[in-house]
Amino acid sequence: MSDTFIVGADMIKFGRYPDSSPFELAADAALLALDDASLTIQDVQAVFAGSTFNSASMVAQRMLQLIGQTGAPCFNVSNACAAGATAVRQAILAVKSGEYDVVLAVGAEKNPRGLMGGALTDGPPPEGLFGSVAPPSFFAEAGMIHVNRYGTTIEQIAQVAVKNHHHSTMNPKAAYQIETPLEEVLASEMIAWPLTKLMCSPNVDGAAAVIIVSEKKAREMGMGRAVRIRGSALVSDPFEPRTPDMFDPNTVARLGAAKAYEQAGLGPEDLDMVELHDCFAVAELLHYENLGLCADGEAARLIDSGETALGGRLPVNVSGGLLAKGHPIGATGVANIVEIVYHLRGEAGARQVEGARIGLAHVLGFASVAACGVHILEKA
Amino acid sequence: MQAQQRGAVREAKGRDLGTASNTIAGPEADLAPKSGHKVVRVGPDGEAWLEASRCSNCGAVMAERTRACRSCGARNTLVPFRPKAIGTLYSWTVVYRSFPGIKVPFVSAVVDVDGGLALKGTLRIDDHDSLKFGMPVRIEFDDAGGAKDKDGRPYVGFHFVAEGASA
Repeated sequence: MSDTFIVGADMIKFGRYPDSSPFELAADAALLALDDASLTIQDVQAVFAGSTFNSASMVAQRMLQLIGQTGAPCFNVSNACAAGATAVRQAILAVKSGEYDVVLAVGAEKNPRGLMGGALTDGPPPEGLFGSVAPPSFFAEAGMIHVNRYGTTIEQIAQVAVKNHHHSTMNPKAAYQIETPLEEVLASEMIAWPLTKLMCSPNVDGAAAVIIVSEKKAREMGMGRAVRIRGSALVSDPFEPRTPDMFDPNTVARLGAAKAYEQAGLGPEDLDMVELHDCFAVAELLHYENLGLCADGEAARLIDSGETALGGRLPVNVSGGLLAKGHPIGATGVANIVEIVYHLRGEAGARQVEGARIGLAHVLGFASVAACGVHILEKA
Repeated sequence: MQAQQRGAVREAKGRDLGTASNTIAGPEADLAPKSGHKVVRVGPDGEAWLEASRCSNCGAVMAERTRACRSCGARNTLVPFRPKAIGTLYSWTVVYRSFPGIKVPFVSAVVDVDGGLALKGTLRIDDHDSLKFGMPVRIEFDDAGGAKDKDGRPYVGFHFVAEGASA
């Protein structure tokens, strides 16, 4: 089956948009991506929209209502933090099916404010009574396994936030663009040991979009700025004995990475850059190992080495990551792909990863169960 | 959290609804305590115990009341069993910021319970520095913070305490 290509990619600046609807945010991102591809909404044959909190209200059609109701079929997908990656993957499959040559995938979200979560149970509200069901606690507990097994320190976890916030100062579309020195990260409000506030991704609004086309269409348009999709994997969490009480972000991420690497015929050693799901600082360390960027138990050494900072051997989250760029749930999985596209085209400005040819974008969605999306992209 | 729950127990005892250990009979029997958690079962006499399932096909243990084994998919293979109310600490975090109205800090713990069950709960422990991976803990049933369902039936919940700590 022929390859698919991204020919348009862009996002709005992530942040708080109290006066905009999620449909308006989606529309703004879609128009940016269309302009980037020099296409119009009339060229788009199908729309895939990823959103978690807003999906039930037909985000894709509501977006078309704002930019052109062409009658194109719309697919509204929700998959927790993997919603955006799910929309992109379904868009890729739609083109691969041969039915469409030009499709639009958009991720858009107006996040609720404050701490997310809270289970829908018929018993007493579980928070505090039966441990914690807040997202920071799940990742703190998963991180504490790494602490126990390998002696990882709070300072090493904090270094992820220091690095990603530093990267964000070079990304005008990041919600926060502020240097956060180690002392500041450690001194910020403790949320769930060992995660302080600056080690937690902020709830912000945002939208991002990509235009995916067939090889035929890409050649017709000229391959100059096209990006080839080498791998596109979406998996769900397989059974693990301690789940769901013990959150396991690792098994599902390893499964997703293995499938994406296999599809691409590539391995971690081939990557020039990675955008991974640092919803909490400790998650980045876990995913270094899950994505095979280092051996098990070596994640803390990897962050200490500086190799994952811009200018290092394998820069990770040069966008600022979810920690600084912000985490509008359904938009995140598309935005991670947009960031890779910027770099493969050499258009990433001050944070450009020099000579980047191959990049990996990873997201992990969870709501007591989990989903993982992994895309591997190559400069065409 | 401990003070809050102790307060709730006192409040419950002050009313005529009784507690998990104080059974109500007769016309008020529908106000008998009920389970407030997936692994807690409550008998007609108010006695509480833990219950989980083990798959007779693949051996997987699960707390959820599933339609089939969530490990191997086999049907009609889940056999209920009653884990003893003891275990060891597998992971934890100390929660300092929670949802509005939830008293902090508290320890959110994942415990490897007897029989292969993993269970998340609140570990009541005053000295957070004494938390250790693998430390033995005990499960104690409680009144779920004084929570009641819409009909006024009290829930039975549980919490962890360090083994050796006084109840």
